[in-house]
Amino acid sequence: MAADQETHAPSLDWKQGRVTSWLTTTDHKRIGILYIVTSLVFFGIAGLLALLIRLQLASPDQDFITGDKYNELFTIHGTAMVFLVVVPILAGFGNYLVPLMIGARDMAFPKLNALSFWFFLLGGIVLYGSFFAKGGASSAGWTAYPPLSESEYSPGNGVDLWILSLHLLTLSSLAGAINFTVTILNMRTRGMTFMRMPLFIWAIFTYAVLLILILPMLSGGLTLLLFDRQLGTHFFVPEEGGSALLWQNVFWFFGHPEVYVMILPAFGIVSEVIPVFARKPIFGYAAIAFSTLGIAFAGMLVWAHHLFTVGYGTGLNSFFMIASFLVAVPTGIKILNWLATLWRGNISFDTPMLFALGLISLFVIGGLTGIFVAAYPVDWQLHDTYFVVAHFHYTLFGGSMFGIFAGLYYWWPKMFGRRLDERLGKFHFWLMFAGFNLAFMPQHFLGLLGMPRRIYTYSEGGAWEIYNRLSTIGAFLMAAAMVVFAVNVLRSRRYARVGNDPWVANTLEWFATSPPPPENWTAPLPYVSSPRPLRDLRIRLEETRLG
Amino acid sequence: MLRAAALSLLGILLAATPAYADNGGLTPVKPASENAQAIYDSYMLVLFVTGFVFVVVEATLVVFLVRYRRGDRAREGEGPQVRGHTRIEVAWTVVAVVLLGINAAFVFVQLPEIDDAPAAGPAGSIDITVEGHQYYWLYRYPGGEVAVDELVVPVNEVVNLEVIAPDVIHSWWIPALGGKIDAIPGRTNHTWFKAEREGTFTGRCAELCGAQHADMTASVHAVSTAAFTQFLASHSPSSKTVGQETFEGVCAKCHGLAGEGTDHAPPIAGRRFDATTAALIKGGGATMPAVGEDWTDEQIDATIAYLNESIGAP
Repeated sequence: MAADQETHAPSLDWKQGRVTSWLTTTDHKRIGILYIVTSLVFFGIAGLLALLIRLQLASPDQDFITGDKYNELFTIHGTAMVFLVVVPILAGFGNYLVPLMIGARDMAFPKLNALSFWFFLLGGIVLYGSFFAKGGASSAGWTAYPPLSESEYSPGNGVDLWILSLHLLTLSSLAGAINFTVTILNMRTRGMTFMRMPLFIWAIFTYAVLLILILPMLSGGLTLLLFDRQLGTHFFVPEEGGSALLWQNVFWFFGHPEVYVMILPAFGIVSEVIPVFARKPIFGYAAIAFSTLGIAFAGMLVWAHHLFTVGYGTGLNSFFMIASFLVAVPTGIKILNWLATLWRGNISFDTPMLFALGLISLFVIGGLTGIFVAAYPVDWQLHDTYFVVAHFHYTLFGGSMFGIFAGLYYWWPKMFGRRLDERLGKFHFWLMFAGFNLAFMPQHFLGLLGMPRRIYTYSEGGAWEIYNRLSTIGAFLMAAAMVVFAVNVLRSRRYARVGNDPWVANTLEWFATSPPPPENWTAPLPYVSSPRPLRDLRIRLEETRLG
Repeated sequence: MLRAAALSLLGILLAATPAYADNGGLTPVKPASENAQAIYDSYMLVLFVTGFVFVVVEATLVVFLVRYRRGDRAREGEGPQVRGHTRIEVAWTVVAVVLLGINAAFVFVQLPEIDDAPAAGPAGSIDITVEGHQYYWLYRYPGGEVAVDELVVPVNEVVNLEVIAPDVIHSWWIPALGGKIDAIPGRTNHTWFKAEREGTFTGRCAELCGAQHADMTASVHAVSTAAFTQFLASHSPSSKTVGQETFEGVCAKCHGLAGEGTDHAPPIAGRRFDATTAALIKGGGATMPAVGEDWTDEQIDATIAYLNESIGAP
């Protein structure tokens, strides 16, 4: 079929070059790899911004970064990690894996898929490029609360470029989300009912539906803010009759579900990895699948827990406290089901498994500290302090990023036909695990001691200084871990080739060759009769062999 | 071996660090007001419940990993093909709901103590307006007295705060005296505290408010009634004290304590300060924000007088 298409498209030789074939590709696997590689480059840049932040805070009264530059650093660090790293790298996994896991030949809309990627790249360039804008990059925080983000308090073009970048990225994500939804709903292979889909597909489906529900809210808010800044409207300017709190509600109506957008696919990765390395079926398939939907549903009803300190009354605060507590139930169900999957397993500690287990152990901490900040009077002490910074790094780095690395090590052999080195991989894991805890555990204590977020300097010595120093050391250990990963990746071209199914796994992507050819399949796919079609196939082949 | 060493090193580091902190850093700072105490109690309850869950889950994880590791078994050897267990699923869901219910119930029990100011004692209560500005706090007392950054209150009296902001969003937060409350343009928020002991309680603006957010510190001095009376007497808006506090809390944060200039603003020392300065303070200039747009004329005059006296041309 691929050959047919090529003959039907005359005089496109220029598309066959080593570079041009990537620039013009509509193959979901190549787009997936483009997403992942671009996100990893953006991850490196956003990580460097974090190191600058940690250097500035390593000791009291440092002044090698000024207040306004510092504000630019954390604004772009936060925005980039959310919009240029975690969300798109998960889109990369989704692009690569969704057609393979459901037995399709490509995404439903391959050209739209390519458009998504190129909008993403453009959005990233605009965001990072905004450092060179008049007045520097946005320094209003990734939450961009007006009136601070209005032109009176943020003159220059930083915020405008921030808005432009986010507009591009929301378009990219929205197109991608529609593509995932249509693909998963319509293109599953024979026999793959909803209850036989891989749990990663459940997660990507939920991720996509959530994005479709929340992105228009962000786009609308961004547009109003742009109107305020450029056309002289006053949607968020209180002295002219606007409302500063309107933005906060709009932003967090998007922003909180966005957290689940970033964590659910990472959970999906863990739900794929743990059964393979524990040699057991996932415990409670249906419970995990429906808890994914449960988290998404409850997660849409909790946004105003980010507004506990704005002075809403007891009624609203209580509602959002209870709703936030409720999210903990389906999340807890997932974690307990993973533990039950490990029970009486035959556990191998290969690198993907280490990262998946790392996610469980760290996300438990991030989830439980979420109870503190959901209890709204307690949040009155913790809100906008380093406790919150620690909390969301435990969920988004300890959770999402550990899950992402589990996925990278797990699917690397499928994507490139070679396994990453296990010794370097394990070194990477332990360095990152130790560095992460050293960087972020002390930040809980800093918050409780009274250190607010987003301050560029402090004069307090004593415990403030010790905790900040430890945190900085931890950040550099994490950076060292990333160097180990980069070395592993760069050396991987020399590693030995692997077969279709190096991990002896369960799902259909391992039926394809490593890497799979264009259009994915070289042999007829088996009929899917359970969530583990490849294991079923192995058993059938074994039975046939034994006769 | 390496893993064990790395883990135990991490454990030692994490265990040793809180011991270094003055109050541990494991709990909110020592409360000095009933509302802060009730929040502290709620925190402790959540800490116990989540601590219990943490220990159970992480211990189970570690035990399973050790007990069910592959060891000498074949890599592909399978464990029992258990797909789930409905009763167990229901059981742990119920346990989760009950634990969360305990948290919620305890918070609701504590709530009146946090939300409602107690009835005023024999000494009465005092209403103070707190204004968050880039990058200072302005306090207005019922008698027209003003203060900048350092709030002085009588000990053991209920202090009701009306919290507002004329420019961007700030957040009022003195950890020992209760939770934070945002100062939001277009909105009037309320909070209260009752300092149980004399002393100084520090805090910081908790909402990003611009380049010098970090400089926006605040402190509350709880003093005896006599000292408080003395404080009020010295803080009429036209007083030299207010002029000095305004200079140090407002002008000096950008122009330096000697008017020598900083990264944020040019030097201002050695000039005459007059009606032009007053207009600049009230209305702002090309780069200077209108820091004093809602000050009284008396406060502006006191500030100008202090400027001339301290850093003005001889």
